[in-house]
Amino acid sequence: MSAAQRVEYLRELGRLDEAEREARAALASDPQDAGLLAALAAVLLRADRNAEGLAAADAATAAAPQEERSHRLRALLLSRLGRHAEALAAGYASVSIAPEEPLAATAYARVLQGAGRLADAAAVAHRVVALAPNSADSHFLLADVTSTLGDRRTARLAYTETLRLDPQHAAARHDLAVLDARAHRPARALKGLIDAGTMDPSMPQVLQTVTAVLWQLSWRLRVWLIVATLAALVTGTGPQPSGTARGVAAAILAASAALACWTARDLPARTRPVVAAALRTDGPLRFTWVAIAACVAVYALIAVTGLGILAGFVWLVLGLLGWLTLIVRVVRSRRSRRRS
Amino acid sequence: MPDDTQPVDALLSSLLSALDAAPDDVPLRLHVAELLADRDRLPEALQHCTRVLSHDAANPAAVALLQRLTSAISTPEPPVFDWMTAEEQVADIPAPELAHVEDPAPSPTVEDIERPTVRLADVGGMQQVKERLELAFLGPMRNPQLAKAFGTSPAGGLLLYGPPGCGKTFLARAVAGELGARFYDVGISDVLDMYVGASERNLSQIFDAARRNAPCVLFLDEIDALGQKRSHLTHSSSMRNTVNQLLSEMDSLGGGNDGVFVLGATNHPWDVDSALRRPGRFDRMLLVLPPDAPARGAILRYHLRDRPVAQVDVERIVAATEHFSGADLAHACDTAAERALAASMKAGRLLPLTTADLDAAVREIRPSTGPWFTTARNVAAFGNADGSYDDLAAYLKKNKRL
Repeated sequence: MSAAQRVEYLRELGRLDEAEREARAALASDPQDAGLLAALAAVLLRADRNAEGLAAADAATAAAPQEERSHRLRALLLSRLGRHAEALAAGYASVSIAPEEPLAATAYARVLQGAGRLADAAAVAHRVVALAPNSADSHFLLADVTSTLGDRRTARLAYTETLRLDPQHAAARHDLAVLDARAHRPARALKGLIDAGTMDPSMPQVLQTVTAVLWQLSWRLRVWLIVATLAALVTGTGPQPSGTARGVAAAILAASAALACWTARDLPARTRPVVAAALRTDGPLRFTWVAIAACVAVYALIAVTGLGILAGFVWLVLGLLGWLTLIVRVVRSRRSRRRS
Repeated sequence: MPDDTQPVDALLSSLLSALDAAPDDVPLRLHVAELLADRDRLPEALQHCTRVLSHDAANPAAVALLQRLTSAISTPEPPVFDWMTAEEQVADIPAPELAHVEDPAPSPTVEDIERPTVRLADVGGMQQVKERLELAFLGPMRNPQLAKAFGTSPAGGLLLYGPPGCGKTFLARAVAGELGARFYDVGISDVLDMYVGASERNLSQIFDAARRNAPCVLFLDEIDALGQKRSHLTHSSSMRNTVNQLLSEMDSLGGGNDGVFVLGATNHPWDVDSALRRPGRFDRMLLVLPPDAPARGAILRYHLRDRPVAQVDVERIVAATEHFSGADLAHACDTAAERALAASMKAGRLLPLTTADLDAAVREIRPSTGPWFTTARNVAAFGNADGSYDDLAAYLKKNKRL
């Protein structure tokens, strides 16, 4: 078995440092071995060392221009480095050499997606599915591309097919949950995210998405509380205890409880620690939920005392939360812009 | 005693000369062939017989001689082989070697197995881990009858997990020292081999070697690589077989393999196949966290012991290095030493390493355990339905990370 195969084997095991060492040691005696150069480029691609990987892929392409794989690796590395025009040319060379190879088509679709040519990427992704219809990864590619394109129906079908072929595909489960969140179905999204996190607890983005879904849920609750508070303020805010205020507050509490039960009806038992972990990671979100809980507690107080004037406090808190949300959004968007 | 073959040979020579003079003399040639056959010179006899038959194909004497010669040639008497002589003849021939051997994984040898002298008392700090080790593993191992009375089994392995560089291997060595057992440290390079079936064979040999050297602590480092979730190995049947072999070897430990204690270590227990965590296999898990304050102090003192130091406030550095792994602390000491060396070279005289150097080094280094805890937080949130990671969740909660 050749050194190149040994490098591939180590890469598959995730032993990237050892794979690189092995490849470089073998290349010292045969620097023009195209297979080894391509294997090294694949290792560096996986290690996210794109500039070094590109050097290896360039050398592999020069040593064996007829080999599809080195063009494919070059295309992916160039795309990651943001050199989209060159990446597209390399990707096209790859699919021209091996038009029936699903991996070449997959890489070309990814390069097109990276270059923002989403419609073309979707067309190539459909071709990948035609070439490898029983591969979960083919359907996942199609789902990912069409989701970015905004074709949620195709994306949902493709994610579902991915999960049918590979029920443990955590990334597909996560992305399907993201689609649910975008479709304003936060409870369903939360359930999907908990499934995805259970399938692969080492996926870092799951908890972030849970946080986003909890923001969405908090927004929904705030809208409900605004409507309820308006109703409470209209029906009576006198300084004296009144039966009307008691009744309205009780009705709001009952409706809030019903809404909470309806939202949480399909959530699994292990939701609580996940939500707690997500709340711990995001201070403003934690504050928002505490404030919402305080608003509900105020209505419980009104239901007991009959003091309708306390609804003004809820209105104040909701206004404060509105400002807080706005500030958090501005700060975070600035931060993410600075990072990119 | 006169040799009676001499006259026959002389006769044969004269007859052969006569044949040269009269090559078509069939009776003479047949007679010569018969004489040659009698002297066991079968190929020559056959040659003359064939020439007789070419002249007189129906000659009954020639045909009979041909049959006699053919049967004699086709069933030769088995030669008596002198093995001793043959051995002597080939004794100096070097053993054949393959033209190209690609670093086959070394077979396990007894040299890999050591008898450690280190004990748990030599592990600085980490009192909680030591207590848990004593209760969950060492106690039942030392008192098998007591364990049996309480319905627990000392069989099965112990999985040490935690962030990298926090002393899992050192602890395993100390466990071997406590048990007075040999220590067999097995890394994935000792097992994994790309040749089909070789990894399984290596694994089997390793367990055999451990059994031969019982009592022995068999330490399988990076068990997540050896025992990966099989659902992740759909494209690698070879790796799946390795996991199956490991399961089989672990199962056989419960039988007639007294004295072999299996310890595994991993940074990613969530990537280990769930079958490996069933009873009788790695059914006990122990979280090995970054060193606590006493352990950090001991590690810092150890790494500073042979260096020129002056007025180093170890307690101050200990306080500033929470969540640092042992490897991070060693790195901090190296960095501080480099700073002191650079200052010495600039000053032209030896300036000892000070607290300021260590402070500056610690500020430069970010604890390498950070990414591990990010993943661990997810695991505690999502993957702790069966309570396997309760220790981890409690630690994260205590440190406000969950």
